Amino acid sequence: MTVFEDEVVAGIARIEAPAGPSPLEQEVVGLFDQFQDRLLRYLLSMGVAAADAEEIVQEVFLALFQHLRRGKSRRNLRAWVFQVAHNLGLKQLSRMRRTKQTLVEPEGLELERRLADRAPNPEDRLAANQRQEHLLGVLRAMPEQDQRCLSLRAEGLTYREIAQVLGISLSGVSLSLGRSLSRLARADKG
Amino acid sequence: MQYQESHVSDQDLALLADGELDPGRTPEVAAHLAQCWFCRARKQDIENAIVDFVRVHREMLDGRLPPPAPMRAMLKARLAQIAETNRGWWPWPMLQTWCYAGAALLVVVLAGTFWSYWRENPSRASARRPVPVSFPEPSLTPGAVATVNKDLICGTPRPKNRAVPASLRRQVFEEYGIPSAEPRAYEVDYLITPALGGADDIRNLWPQSSTAAVWNARVKDALEDRLHDLVCEGDLDLKTAQRDIASDWIAAYKKYFLTDQPVAVAR
Repeated sequence: MTVFEDEVVAGIARIEAPAGPSPLEQEVVGLFDQFQDRLLRYLLSMGVAAADAEEIVQEVFLALFQHLRRGKSRRNLRAWVFQVAHNLGLKQLSRMRRTKQTLVEPEGLELERRLADRAPNPEDRLAANQRQEHLLGVLRAMPEQDQRCLSLRAEGLTYREIAQVLGISLSGVSLSLGRSLSRLARADKG
Repeated sequence: MQYQESHVSDQDLALLADGELDPGRTPEVAAHLAQCWFCRARKQDIENAIVDFVRVHREMLDGRLPPPAPMRAMLKARLAQIAETNRGWWPWPMLQTWCYAGAALLVVVLAGTFWSYWRENPSRASARRPVPVSFPEPSLTPGAVATVNKDLICGTPRPKNRAVPASLRRQVFEEYGIPSAEPRAYEVDYLITPALGGADDIRNLWPQSSTAAVWNARVKDALEDRLHDLVCEGDLDLKTAQRDIASDWIAAYKKYFLTDQPVAVAR
């Protein structure tokens, strides 16, 4: 938090700059800045509720802090944070299913409404809506693993990283993405 | 059909579009594409599909992302707490483990005792829970400011109160002894609004009852607007405004609206 002045308002807590966070804390916060949006988007696309996704992202970076403090591997931290988020997301989804809570529809109606108001005029909007709805329909019909491969790829992960996050083989990832992209390409033309 | 089989597969086209095709195969596929319009069109379709997917993916999800600053502040606070807790407190790991085990046992015994007490005296136990209605608990929510610089407050468009992240909301409910509160019954509100320099900090947040009939959130919003106007028009010192709203917002309302009851607030 930025501190603008050094005067203190009597009786009110003054938020000071953190008293010397360690280099490791700074590094973890830097990684948080870099990845939080991508992780949140991925968790939301899995169907995790927004409030739970926020909590999971916090847990991911607390776990990363402990991981690095213990001197464990720093190799490919991007894949590491996505993997931890993915596993925590799966746990949360299974907890929600057990307690019979309503799963958040990853591509829900509210989102479709948001998409609706982008195009400049009613005709374009209608055409854009129809196209996007068609695309959403195709996406929803895909197996969960294909959807997750696509989301992770859209968040910038390489095939090898996606394989690590989802715990599948590299050829499994390329097969999944090849299949999904050709389906989407057909949907685009249709 | 034999002609069809000589084309590049969808999987290879996707790998090529993604730069993930095996370097050994790339020249062969590139040579085929150079002479095959059909495969080039298919590759273009795949690239278009990628563009469309990314657009839909972003548009669907970006609007649901929470503001980053409170999440970041929360993470920093939690990291600092962990770092402090774990800072070389005990030199002998084994002894430390035993100590933790002892503490855990003590917690279990105390929890058991409390549970028995609660079962025998449920009304007394629940009566101790503070249920805030219109006024924050000063020891938990004294107010916290990020700035006392009037130019920053008045020089930019007035910020709306940011959404409080769910994890921070839960922490506020826990602090106030209402961990299982119905979220719709309370609005986790800034005591000193960010428009008056209030900070994204748990010391500046409290669960304001949504059901309060008189001194409710809309009345407090009106006070915040009034104070902001007074400060920016030079009629009130920013620090005084912050102090007044933090120490007793209802008294501040009466003071700045010259009334003992809220005036009608348009919805």
